[in-house]
Amino acid sequence: MRKYCFIILVCLVIVGGIQAQPAIKVSGEVTKPLQLQTADLAKMKRVTVSMRDRDGNEHPYTGVPVAEILDQAGVTTGKQLRGENLTKYLLVKCADGYEVLFSLAELDSSFTDRTVIIADSSEGKPLPAGKGPFRLVVPGEKKPARSSFQVTELVIRWAKE
Amino acid sequence: MILSAATGFLGFGIRAPGVEPLTPVYPSYFGNRIDIPADNPLTVQGVQLGRMLFYETALSAGDRVSCATCHRQELAFTDGKRFSAGVDGTLQPRNTMSLANLLWVRNFFWDGRARGLEQQAETPLTNPHEMGQTLAVSARKLQSKTIYPPLFRAAFGSDTVTGLRIVQALAQFERTLISAGSRYDRYLQGAYQPTGSEAGGIALFYGKGTCGHCHDGPKTYGELFHNNGLDSIPRDPGRETVTGQPYDRGRFRVVTLRNIELTAPYMHDGRFSTLTDTSFITNPKFSNPFKN
Ligand code: HEC
Ligand code: HEC
Repeated sequence: MRKYCFIILVCLVIVGGIQAQPAIKVSGEVTKPLQLQTADLAKMKRVTVSMRDRDGNEHPYTGVPVAEILDQAGVTTGKQLRGENLTKYLLVKCADGYEVLFSLAELDSSFTDRTVIIADSSEGKPLPAGKGPFRLVVPGEKKPARSSFQVTELVIRWAKE
Repeated sequence: MILSAATGFLGFGIRAPGVEPLTPVYPSYFGNRIDIPADNPLTVQGVQLGRMLFYETALSAGDRVSCATCHRQELAFTDGKRFSAGVDGTLQPRNTMSLANLLWVRNFFWDGRARGLEQQAETPLTNPHEMGQTLAVSARKLQSKTIYPPLFRAAFGSDTVTGLRIVQALAQFERTLISAGSRYDRYLQGAYQPTGSEAGGIALFYGKGTCGHCHDGPKTYGELFHNNGLDSIPRDPGRETVTGQPYDRGRFRVVTLRNIELTAPYMHDGRFSTLTDTSFITNPKFSNPFKN
Protein backbone atom coordinates (compact mmCIF):
# COMPACT_ATOMS: atom_id res chain seq x y z
CA MET A 1 0.00 0.00 0.00
CA ARG A 2 2.73 2.36 1.01
CA LYS A 3 4.54 1.53 -2.23
CA TYR A 4 1.47 2.54 -4.25
CA CYS A 5 1.12 5.75 -2.34
CA PHE A 6 4.72 6.49 -3.18
CA ILE A 7 4.24 5.73 -6.86
CA ILE A 8 1.14 7.92 -6.98
CA LEU A 9 3.03 10.67 -5.20
CA VAL A 10 5.91 10.45 -7.66
CA CYS A 11 3.46 10.55 -10.57
CA LEU A 12 1.75 13.60 -9.08
CA VAL A 13 5.08 15.34 -8.68
CA ILE A 14 6.05 14.50 -12.27
CA VAL A 15 2.72 15.60 -13.71
CA GLY A 16 2.67 18.66 -11.47
CA GLY A 17 6.26 19.39 -12.44
CA ILE A 18 5.54 19.29 -16.15
CA GLN A 19 2.42 21.41 -15.79
CA ALA A 20 4.01 23.94 -13.52
CA GLN A 21 7.10 24.52 -15.67
CA PRO A 22 6.35 27.77 -17.50
CA ALA A 23 7.70 28.06 -21.03
CA ILE A 24 7.57 30.27 -24.09
CA LYS A 25 6.32 28.58 -27.23
CA VAL A 26 7.74 29.83 -30.54
CA SER A 27 5.67 28.85 -33.57
CA GLY A 28 4.29 29.90 -36.95
CA GLU A 29 6.66 30.82 -39.79
CA VAL A 30 9.63 29.08 -38.18
CA THR A 31 11.78 26.21 -39.39
CA LYS A 32 12.30 24.96 -35.84
CA PRO A 33 9.46 25.40 -33.35
CA LEU A 34 10.77 26.02 -29.83
CA GLN A 35 9.57 25.57 -26.28
CA LEU A 36 11.87 27.62 -24.04
CA GLN A 37 12.03 27.28 -20.28
CA THR A 38 14.05 29.37 -17.84
CA ALA A 39 16.93 26.86 -18.04
CA ASP A 40 17.01 27.18 -21.85
CA LEU A 41 17.09 30.96 -21.71
CA ALA A 42 19.96 30.75 -19.21
CA LYS A 43 22.07 28.97 -21.84
CA MET A 44 21.48 31.54 -24.58
CA LYS A 45 23.16 34.87 -25.30
CA ARG A 46 22.14 37.17 -22.45
CA VAL A 47 22.02 40.94 -22.29
CA THR A 48 20.86 43.62 -19.88
CA VAL A 49 18.80 46.54 -21.16
CA SER A 50 17.19 49.44 -19.41
CA MET A 51 13.64 50.68 -19.81
CA ARG A 52 11.43 53.28 -18.20
CA ASP A 53 8.54 51.63 -16.37
CA ARG A 54 5.11 52.96 -15.46
CA ASP A 55 6.68 54.44 -12.31
CA GLY A 56 8.69 56.81 -14.54
CA ASN A 57 12.08 55.35 -13.55
CA GLU A 58 14.62 53.41 -15.58
CA HIS A 59 15.06 49.76 -14.50
CA PRO A 60 17.55 47.17 -15.72
CA TYR A 61 16.21 43.92 -17.18
CA THR A 62 18.23 40.85 -18.08
CA GLY A 63 17.33 38.17 -20.58
CA VAL A 64 17.67 37.01 -24.17
CA PRO A 65 17.25 39.25 -27.24
CA VAL A 66 14.09 38.36 -29.14
CA ALA A 67 16.20 38.45 -32.33
CA GLU A 68 18.35 35.65 -30.85
CA ILE A 69 15.28 33.52 -30.15
CA LEU A 70 13.92 34.13 -33.65
CA ASP A 71 17.32 33.17 -35.09
CA GLN A 72 17.30 29.87 -33.21
CA ALA A 73 13.80 29.16 -34.43
CA GLY A 74 14.92 29.72 -38.01
CA VAL A 75 12.91 32.88 -38.63
CA THR A 76 14.03 35.04 -41.57
CA THR A 77 16.28 37.54 -39.78
CA GLY A 78 19.36 39.58 -40.79
CA LYS A 79 20.27 39.12 -44.46
CA GLN A 80 17.12 37.10 -45.07
CA LEU A 81 14.94 39.92 -43.83
CA ARG A 82 14.16 41.51 -47.18
CA GLY A 83 11.62 41.33 -49.98
CA GLU A 84 8.38 39.65 -48.99
CA ASN A 85 9.85 38.64 -45.63
CA LEU A 86 9.40 42.27 -44.64
CA THR A 87 5.66 41.60 -44.48
CA LYS A 88 6.09 39.15 -41.61
CA TYR A 89 5.15 40.03 -38.06
CA LEU A 90 5.65 38.74 -34.54
CA LEU A 91 2.59 38.38 -32.32
CA VAL A 92 3.46 38.22 -28.63
CA LYS A 93 0.85 36.43 -26.50
CA CYS A 94 0.57 36.68 -22.75
CA ALA A 95 -1.04 34.50 -20.07
CA ASP A 96 -3.92 36.92 -19.50
CA GLY A 97 -4.79 37.01 -23.20
CA TYR A 98 -3.02 40.33 -23.84
CA GLU A 99 -1.39 40.49 -27.28
CA VAL A 100 1.02 42.91 -28.94
CA LEU A 101 2.53 42.98 -32.38
CA PHE A 102 5.88 43.89 -34.02
CA SER A 103 6.99 43.83 -37.61
CA LEU A 104 10.12 41.68 -37.87
CA ALA A 105 12.17 44.68 -38.97
CA GLU A 106 11.44 46.41 -35.66
CA LEU A 107 13.39 43.67 -33.89
CA ASP A 108 16.29 43.14 -36.27
CA SER A 109 19.79 44.49 -35.62
CA SER A 110 20.25 45.21 -39.33
CA PHE A 111 17.38 47.73 -39.03
CA THR A 112 17.60 49.07 -35.50
CA ASP A 113 20.01 49.51 -32.60
CA ARG A 114 17.28 48.92 -30.07
CA THR A 115 17.39 45.49 -28.41
CA VAL A 116 14.04 44.05 -27.44
CA ILE A 117 14.45 41.18 -24.99
CA ILE A 118 12.56 38.44 -23.21
CA ALA A 119 13.60 39.23 -19.65
CA ASP A 120 13.56 36.69 -16.84
CA SER A 121 15.35 38.73 -14.19
CA SER A 122 16.02 42.21 -12.94
CA GLU A 123 18.93 43.16 -10.71
CA GLY A 124 19.81 39.50 -10.17
CA LYS A 125 16.32 38.51 -9.04
CA PRO A 126 13.56 36.66 -10.92
CA LEU A 127 10.72 38.92 -12.01
CA PRO A 128 7.92 39.42 -9.45
CA ALA A 129 4.71 37.37 -9.57
CA GLY A 130 2.27 39.05 -11.91
CA LYS A 131 5.05 40.19 -14.27
CA GLY A 132 7.17 37.07 -14.65
CA PRO A 133 8.48 34.60 -15.21
CA PHE A 134 8.97 36.12 -18.69
CA ARG A 135 8.45 39.74 -19.62
CA LEU A 136 8.92 41.39 -22.96
CA VAL A 137 11.07 44.49 -22.47
CA VAL A 138 10.96 47.12 -25.21
CA PRO A 139 13.40 49.94 -24.41
CA GLY A 140 12.85 53.45 -25.66
CA GLU A 141 9.07 53.57 -26.06
CA LYS A 142 7.05 56.45 -24.64
CA LYS A 143 4.44 54.06 -23.23
CA PRO A 144 5.36 50.67 -21.70
CA ALA A 145 2.24 49.12 -23.25
CA ARG A 146 4.16 46.69 -25.46
CA SER A 147 6.46 45.64 -22.63
CA SER A 148 3.97 42.95 -21.75
CA PHE A 149 3.94 40.64 -18.73
CA GLN A 150 3.84 36.84 -18.48
CA VAL A 151 4.71 36.15 -22.10
CA THR A 152 3.67 32.63 -23.14
CA GLU A 153 3.97 32.58 -26.93
CA LEU A 154 5.80 34.16 -29.86
CA VAL A 155 3.97 33.58 -33.12
CA ILE A 156 5.45 34.56 -36.51
CA ARG A 157 3.01 35.10 -39.36
CA TRP A 158 2.66 36.65 -42.78
CA ALA A 159 0.55 39.77 -43.01
CA LYS A 160 -2.01 38.65 -45.57
CA GLU A 161 -4.06 41.18 -47.47
CA MET B 1 -14.05 37.28 -48.06
CA ILE B 2 -14.84 34.00 -46.43
CA LEU B 3 -18.44 34.62 -47.31
CA SER B 4 -17.86 35.38 -50.95
CA ALA B 5 -15.81 32.20 -51.17
CA ALA B 6 -18.94 30.45 -49.98
CA THR B 7 -20.71 31.44 -53.18
CA GLY B 8 -18.89 28.65 -54.96
CA PHE B 9 -17.93 26.30 -52.19
CA LEU B 10 -19.10 25.22 -48.80
CA GLY B 11 -15.80 25.06 -46.97
CA PHE B 12 -13.77 22.20 -48.39
CA GLY B 13 -16.74 20.59 -50.11
CA ILE B 14 -18.80 21.71 -53.07
CA ARG B 15 -21.61 23.98 -52.00
CA ALA B 16 -24.99 22.34 -52.18
CA PRO B 17 -27.35 23.87 -54.72
CA GLY B 18 -29.67 26.44 -53.15
CA VAL B 19 -27.52 27.14 -50.08
CA GLU B 20 -27.33 30.92 -49.66
CA PRO B 21 -24.35 32.60 -47.99
CA LEU B 22 -25.24 34.88 -45.10
CA THR B 23 -23.26 37.99 -44.22
CA PRO B 24 -23.36 38.90 -40.55
CA VAL B 25 -24.47 42.49 -40.04
CA TYR B 26 -22.78 44.56 -37.34
CA PRO B 27 -21.53 48.12 -36.83
CA SER B 28 -18.06 48.89 -38.21
CA TYR B 29 -16.91 50.03 -34.75
CA PHE B 30 -17.05 46.36 -33.65
CA GLY B 31 -14.11 45.66 -35.95
CA ASN B 32 -13.70 42.61 -38.16
CA ARG B 33 -11.66 40.32 -35.97
CA ILE B 34 -14.40 37.72 -36.25
CA ASP B 35 -14.06 33.97 -36.17
CA ILE B 36 -15.78 31.94 -38.88
CA PRO B 37 -13.95 28.70 -39.70
CA ALA B 38 -13.30 28.10 -43.41
CA ASP B 39 -15.11 24.75 -43.26
CA ASN B 40 -18.27 26.20 -41.69
CA PRO B 41 -19.27 29.43 -43.45
CA LEU B 42 -22.53 31.11 -42.45
CA THR B 43 -25.47 30.21 -44.63
CA VAL B 44 -29.15 31.06 -44.40
CA GLN B 45 -30.08 27.36 -44.26
CA GLY B 46 -27.37 26.48 -41.74
CA VAL B 47 -28.46 29.23 -39.37
CA GLN B 48 -32.13 28.19 -39.70
CA LEU B 49 -31.25 24.61 -38.84
CA GLY B 50 -29.03 25.76 -35.97
CA ARG B 51 -31.88 27.82 -34.52
CA MET B 52 -34.15 24.76 -34.52
CA LEU B 53 -31.46 22.60 -32.95
CA PHE B 54 -30.90 25.19 -30.21
CA TYR B 55 -34.50 24.56 -29.06
CA GLU B 56 -34.47 20.78 -29.77
CA THR B 57 -34.91 18.64 -26.64
CA ALA B 58 -34.24 15.44 -28.61
CA LEU B 59 -30.57 16.42 -28.34
CA SER B 60 -30.74 15.40 -24.67
CA ALA B 61 -31.11 12.11 -22.83
CA GLY B 62 -34.80 11.78 -21.95
CA ASP B 63 -35.79 14.56 -24.39
CA ARG B 64 -36.32 17.22 -21.72
CA VAL B 65 -33.43 19.67 -22.04
CA SER B 66 -32.34 21.88 -24.92
CA CYS B 67 -29.71 24.62 -25.12
CA ALA B 68 -32.57 27.06 -24.56
CA THR B 69 -33.45 25.48 -21.20
CA CYS B 70 -30.43 27.23 -19.73
CA HIS B 71 -29.95 29.91 -22.41
CA ARG B 72 -33.35 31.68 -22.62
CA GLN B 73 -33.59 34.41 -25.22
CA GLU B 74 -35.76 36.73 -23.08
CA LEU B 75 -32.95 36.79 -20.49
CA ALA B 76 -30.24 37.46 -23.08
CA PHE B 77 -29.71 33.68 -23.24
CA THR B 78 -29.27 33.11 -19.51
CA ASP B 79 -31.82 31.62 -17.11
CA GLY B 80 -31.79 33.86 -14.05
CA LYS B 81 -30.46 31.04 -11.85
CA ARG B 82 -27.23 30.98 -9.92
CA PHE B 83 -26.53 27.44 -11.18
CA SER B 84 -28.60 25.63 -13.81
CA ALA B 85 -29.63 21.97 -13.67
CA GLY B 86 -29.08 19.54 -16.54
CA VAL B 87 -30.77 16.22 -17.45
CA ASP B 88 -29.76 14.47 -14.23
CA GLY B 89 -30.71 17.37 -11.97
CA THR B 90 -27.09 18.10 -11.03
CA LEU B 91 -26.28 21.79 -10.81
CA GLN B 92 -23.57 23.21 -13.08
CA PRO B 93 -20.38 24.27 -11.30
CA ARG B 94 -20.53 27.75 -12.85
CA ASN B 95 -23.12 30.36 -13.77
CA THR B 96 -24.71 30.10 -17.23
CA MET B 97 -23.12 32.58 -19.60
CA SER B 98 -25.05 35.01 -21.74
CA LEU B 99 -24.71 34.50 -25.50
CA ALA B 100 -24.05 37.76 -27.32
CA ASN B 101 -21.45 38.79 -29.89
CA LEU B 102 -19.82 35.35 -29.80
CA LEU B 103 -18.54 36.03 -33.32
CA TRP B 104 -15.72 38.00 -31.65
CA VAL B 105 -14.86 35.38 -29.01
CA ARG B 106 -12.07 32.88 -29.61
CA ASN B 107 -11.85 31.00 -26.31
CA PHE B 108 -15.17 29.95 -24.81
CA PHE B 109 -16.39 29.35 -21.24
CA TRP B 110 -15.42 31.22 -18.08
CA ASP B 111 -11.96 29.63 -18.26
CA GLY B 112 -11.58 29.85 -22.05
CA ARG B 113 -11.11 26.09 -22.44
CA ALA B 114 -13.02 25.62 -25.72
CA ARG B 115 -11.48 26.90 -28.91
CA GLY B 116 -14.31 27.87 -31.26
CA LEU B 117 -18.08 27.45 -31.07
CA GLU B 118 -18.12 24.07 -32.81
CA GLN B 119 -15.88 22.61 -30.11
CA GLN B 120 -17.81 24.46 -27.39
CA ALA B 121 -21.18 22.96 -28.41
CA GLU B 122 -19.91 19.43 -27.91
CA THR B 123 -19.51 20.02 -24.16
CA PRO B 124 -23.14 20.72 -23.14
CA LEU B 125 -24.44 18.14 -25.63
CA THR B 126 -22.39 15.26 -24.22
CA ASN B 127 -21.77 16.26 -20.57
CA PRO B 128 -23.82 13.85 -18.39
CA HIS B 129 -24.87 16.77 -16.17
CA GLU B 130 -26.07 18.94 -19.06
CA MET B 131 -27.72 17.22 -22.05
CA GLY B 132 -26.07 13.85 -21.45
CA GLN B 133 -26.18 12.23 -24.87
CA THR B 134 -23.42 11.22 -27.29
CA LEU B 135 -23.31 12.97 -30.65
CA ALA B 136 -23.89 9.61 -32.35
CA VAL B 137 -27.15 9.05 -30.45
CA SER B 138 -28.26 12.63 -31.15
CA ALA B 139 -27.55 12.16 -34.85
CA ARG B 140 -29.51 8.90 -34.91
CA LYS B 141 -32.51 10.47 -33.14
CA LEU B 142 -32.66 13.42 -35.53
CA GLN B 143 -32.20 11.13 -38.53
CA SER B 144 -35.35 9.25 -37.56
CA LYS B 145 -37.51 12.40 -37.38
CA THR B 146 -39.18 13.33 -40.64
CA ILE B 147 -38.43 17.06 -40.41
CA TYR B 148 -34.66 16.95 -40.00
CA PRO B 149 -33.15 15.08 -42.99
CA PRO B 150 -34.48 17.67 -45.50
CA LEU B 151 -33.18 20.51 -43.29
CA PHE B 152 -29.72 18.92 -43.18
CA ARG B 153 -29.88 18.49 -46.95
CA ALA B 154 -30.77 22.17 -47.34
CA ALA B 155 -27.91 23.26 -45.08
CA PHE B 156 -25.17 20.75 -45.89
CA GLY B 157 -26.22 19.18 -49.19
CA SER B 158 -26.87 15.75 -47.67
CA ASP B 159 -29.69 14.07 -45.75
CA THR B 160 -27.20 12.45 -43.42
CA VAL B 161 -27.28 13.82 -39.88
CA THR B 162 -23.86 13.73 -38.23
CA GLY B 163 -22.52 14.98 -34.92
CA LEU B 164 -20.23 17.38 -36.77
CA ARG B 165 -23.12 18.89 -38.75
CA ILE B 166 -25.15 19.30 -35.54
CA VAL B 167 -22.40 21.33 -33.85
CA GLN B 168 -21.68 23.24 -37.08
CA ALA B 169 -25.31 24.32 -37.44
CA LEU B 170 -25.52 25.32 -33.76
CA ALA B 171 -22.33 27.36 -34.14
CA GLN B 172 -23.70 29.09 -37.24
CA PHE B 173 -26.84 30.10 -35.36
CA GLU B 174 -24.85 31.37 -32.37
CA ARG B 175 -22.67 33.51 -34.66
CA THR B 176 -25.79 35.48 -35.61
CA LEU B 177 -26.57 36.45 -31.99
CA ILE B 178 -25.30 39.99 -32.40
CA SER B 179 -26.13 42.66 -29.87
CA ALA B 180 -25.78 46.12 -31.41
CA GLY B 181 -29.05 47.91 -30.78
CA SER B 182 -28.55 49.56 -27.38
CA ARG B 183 -29.01 53.26 -26.62
CA TYR B 184 -25.23 53.35 -26.45
CA ASP B 185 -25.05 52.10 -30.05
CA ARG B 186 -27.52 54.77 -31.14
CA TYR B 187 -25.36 57.33 -29.35
CA LEU B 188 -22.26 56.06 -31.21
CA GLN B 189 -24.20 56.31 -34.45
CA GLY B 190 -25.13 59.91 -33.64
CA ALA B 191 -28.84 59.12 -33.22
CA TYR B 192 -29.22 59.48 -29.46
CA GLN B 193 -28.27 62.12 -26.91
CA PRO B 194 -27.30 60.46 -23.60
CA THR B 195 -28.75 61.86 -20.38
CA GLY B 196 -26.37 63.55 -17.96
CA SER B 197 -25.93 60.46 -15.83
CA GLU B 198 -25.51 58.20 -18.88
CA ALA B 199 -22.80 60.50 -20.22
CA GLY B 200 -21.14 60.46 -16.79
CA GLY B 201 -21.26 56.66 -16.79
CA ILE B 202 -19.68 56.44 -20.24
CA ALA B 203 -16.89 58.79 -19.19
CA LEU B 204 -16.25 56.86 -15.98
CA PHE B 205 -16.44 53.46 -17.67
CA TYR B 206 -13.98 54.26 -20.44
CA GLY B 207 -11.97 56.75 -18.39
CA LYS B 208 -11.07 56.88 -14.72
CA GLY B 209 -13.03 53.74 -13.84
CA THR B 210 -10.75 51.79 -16.24
CA CYS B 211 -13.54 49.27 -16.90
CA GLY B 212 -12.83 49.73 -20.61
CA HIS B 213 -9.35 48.28 -20.22
CA CYS B 214 -10.93 44.83 -19.92
CA HIS B 215 -14.51 45.43 -21.06
CA ASP B 216 -12.95 46.96 -24.12
CA GLY B 217 -14.50 49.32 -26.69
CA PRO B 218 -18.15 49.40 -27.77
CA LYS B 219 -18.43 45.60 -27.47
CA THR B 220 -17.45 46.00 -23.77
CA TYR B 221 -15.40 42.89 -24.44
CA GLY B 222 -11.74 42.02 -24.57
CA GLU B 223 -10.44 38.48 -24.79
CA LEU B 224 -8.59 38.67 -21.47
CA PHE B 225 -8.38 36.53 -18.35
CA HIS B 226 -8.23 38.25 -14.99
CA ASN B 227 -8.56 37.56 -11.34
CA ASN B 228 -10.52 40.54 -10.18
CA GLY B 229 -9.95 39.82 -6.53
CA LEU B 230 -13.36 38.39 -5.63
CA ASP B 231 -11.68 35.95 -3.22
CA SER B 232 -8.26 36.08 -1.60
CA ILE B 233 -8.15 32.28 -1.98
CA PRO B 234 -10.17 31.40 -5.09
CA ARG B 235 -12.42 28.34 -4.62
CA ASP B 236 -12.57 27.81 -8.36
CA PRO B 237 -9.09 27.70 -9.93
CA GLY B 238 -10.53 29.08 -13.21
CA ARG B 239 -7.95 29.49 -15.97
CA GLU B 240 -5.35 27.51 -14.00
CA THR B 241 -7.20 24.28 -14.85
CA VAL B 242 -6.58 24.98 -18.53
CA THR B 243 -2.95 26.13 -18.43
CA GLY B 244 -1.59 24.39 -15.34
CA GLN B 245 0.11 27.64 -14.32
CA PRO B 246 -0.34 28.81 -10.73
CA TYR B 247 -0.31 32.43 -11.90
CA ASP B 248 -3.58 31.72 -13.72
CA ARG B 249 -5.34 30.68 -10.50
CA GLY B 250 -8.65 32.48 -10.04
CA ARG B 251 -8.45 34.11 -13.45
CA PHE B 252 -11.65 34.13 -15.47
CA ARG B 253 -12.46 35.39 -18.91
CA VAL B 254 -13.75 38.90 -19.26
CA VAL B 255 -17.37 38.80 -20.39
CA THR B 256 -19.39 41.28 -22.37
CA LEU B 257 -21.57 43.67 -20.37
CA ARG B 258 -24.15 43.92 -23.14
CA ASN B 259 -27.69 43.10 -21.95
CA ILE B 260 -26.24 43.09 -18.45
CA GLU B 261 -29.49 44.10 -16.75
CA LEU B 262 -31.05 40.85 -18.02
CA THR B 263 -28.29 38.43 -17.03
CA ALA B 264 -28.35 38.38 -13.20
CA PRO B 265 -26.94 36.79 -11.15
CA TYR B 266 -23.41 37.92 -11.95
CA MET B 267 -19.82 36.58 -12.09
CA HIS B 268 -18.63 33.02 -12.80
CA ASP B 269 -20.33 31.76 -9.64
CA GLY B 270 -23.38 34.01 -9.75
CA ARG B 271 -22.46 35.44 -6.37
CA PHE B 272 -24.02 38.85 -6.96
CA SER B 273 -27.75 39.02 -7.51
CA THR B 274 -27.96 42.67 -8.52
CA LEU B 275 -25.79 45.07 -10.48
CA THR B 276 -25.41 47.34 -7.46
CA ASP B 277 -23.74 44.39 -5.69
CA THR B 278 -21.13 44.37 -8.41
CA SER B 279 -20.30 47.98 -7.64
CA PHE B 280 -17.79 46.39 -5.26
CA ILE B 281 -15.74 46.88 -8.40
CA THR B 282 -15.27 50.48 -7.44
CA ASN B 283 -14.11 49.53 -3.97
CA PRO B 284 -10.43 49.24 -3.09
CA LYS B 285 -10.49 45.45 -2.63
CA PHE B 286 -11.14 45.02 -6.34
CA SER B 287 -7.79 44.12 -7.81
CA ASN B 288 -7.47 46.10 -10.97
CA PRO B 289 -4.04 46.22 -12.56
CA PHE B 290 -4.95 49.41 -14.42
CA LYS B 291 -5.72 51.45 -11.34
CA ASN B 292 -2.77 53.12 -9.66
C1 HEC C 1 -27.67 22.75 -18.06
C2 HEC C 1 -27.55 24.13 -18.51
C3 HEC C 1 -26.94 24.37 -19.88
C4 HEC C 1 -27.30 23.81 -21.08
C5 HEC C 1 -28.37 22.76 -21.34
C6 HEC C 1 -26.47 24.44 -22.07
N1 HEC C 1 -25.64 25.35 -21.50
FE1 HEC C 1 -24.34 26.57 -22.45
N2 HEC C 1 -23.55 27.15 -20.69
C7 HEC C 1 -23.99 26.73 -19.45
C8 HEC C 1 -23.02 27.07 -18.43
C9 HEC C 1 -23.13 26.76 -16.94
C10 HEC C 1 -21.96 27.74 -19.10
C11 HEC C 1 -20.64 28.21 -18.47
C12 HEC C 1 -19.83 26.94 -18.20
C13 HEC C 1 -18.36 27.14 -17.87
O1 HEC C 1 -17.82 28.21 -18.08
O2 HEC C 1 -17.74 26.18 -17.41
C14 HEC C 1 -22.35 27.77 -20.51
C15 HEC C 1 -21.58 28.39 -21.51
C16 HEC C 1 -21.94 28.39 -22.85
C17 HEC C 1 -21.21 29.10 -23.88
C18 HEC C 1 -19.95 29.94 -23.69
C19 HEC C 1 -20.20 31.41 -23.90
C20 HEC C 1 -18.94 32.24 -23.78
O3 HEC C 1 -19.02 33.47 -23.83
O4 HEC C 1 -17.84 31.66 -23.64
C21 HEC C 1 -21.85 28.84 -25.06
C22 HEC C 1 -21.48 29.36 -26.44
C23 HEC C 1 -22.95 27.95 -24.77
N3 HEC C 1 -22.99 27.71 -23.41
C24 HEC C 1 -23.79 27.40 -25.73
C25 HEC C 1 -24.65 26.33 -25.46
C26 HEC C 1 -25.26 25.50 -26.49
C27 HEC C 1 -25.07 25.67 -27.99
C28 HEC C 1 -26.01 24.58 -25.84
C29 HEC C 1 -26.82 23.43 -26.44
C30 HEC C 1 -26.06 22.52 -27.26
C31 HEC C 1 -25.87 24.84 -24.41
N4 HEC C 1 -25.03 25.89 -24.23
C32 HEC C 1 -26.54 24.12 -23.42
C33 HEC C 1 -25.17 26.05 -19.20
C34 HEC C 1 -25.86 25.31 -20.15
C1 HEC D 1 -8.83 43.79 -14.92
C2 HEC D 1 -9.89 43.53 -15.84
C3 HEC D 1 -11.27 44.08 -15.49
C4 HEC D 1 -11.60 45.39 -15.23
C5 HEC D 1 -10.69 46.59 -15.21
C6 HEC D 1 -13.04 45.38 -14.99
N1 HEC D 1 -13.55 44.12 -15.12
FE1 HEC D 1 -15.49 43.58 -14.96
N2 HEC D 1 -14.96 41.63 -15.14
C7 HEC D 1 -13.69 41.17 -15.37
C8 HEC D 1 -13.68 39.72 -15.30
C9 HEC D 1 -12.47 38.82 -15.49
C10 HEC D 1 -15.01 39.33 -15.02
C11 HEC D 1 -15.50 37.90 -14.74
C12 HEC D 1 -15.06 37.65 -13.30
C13 HEC D 1 -15.59 36.42 -12.64
O1 HEC D 1 -16.65 35.94 -12.99
O2 HEC D 1 -14.93 35.93 -11.71
C14 HEC D 1 -15.79 40.56 -14.92
C15 HEC D 1 -17.15 40.61 -14.66
C16 HEC D 1 -17.89 41.75 -14.57
C17 HEC D 1 -19.34 41.79 -14.36
C18 HEC D 1 -20.25 40.57 -14.25
C19 HEC D 1 -20.64 40.13 -15.64
C20 HEC D 1 -21.52 38.91 -15.68
O3 HEC D 1 -22.15 38.67 -16.72
O4 HEC D 1 -21.58 38.16 -14.71
C21 HEC D 1 -19.70 43.10 -14.32
C22 HEC D 1 -21.10 43.64 -14.16
C23 HEC D 1 -18.49 43.88 -14.49
N3 HEC D 1 -17.42 43.03 -14.66
C24 HEC D 1 -18.45 45.27 -14.51
C25 HEC D 1 -17.26 46.00 -14.50
C26 HEC D 1 -17.21 47.44 -14.29
C27 HEC D 1 -18.42 48.33 -14.11
C28 HEC D 1 -15.90 47.78 -14.30
C29 HEC D 1 -15.27 49.16 -14.04
C30 HEC D 1 -15.62 49.74 -12.75
C31 HEC D 1 -15.13 46.56 -14.54
N4 HEC D 1 -15.99 45.51 -14.64
C32 HEC D 1 -13.76 46.52 -14.67
C33 HEC D 1 -12.57 41.93 -15.61
C34 HEC D 1 -12.49 43.30 -15.41
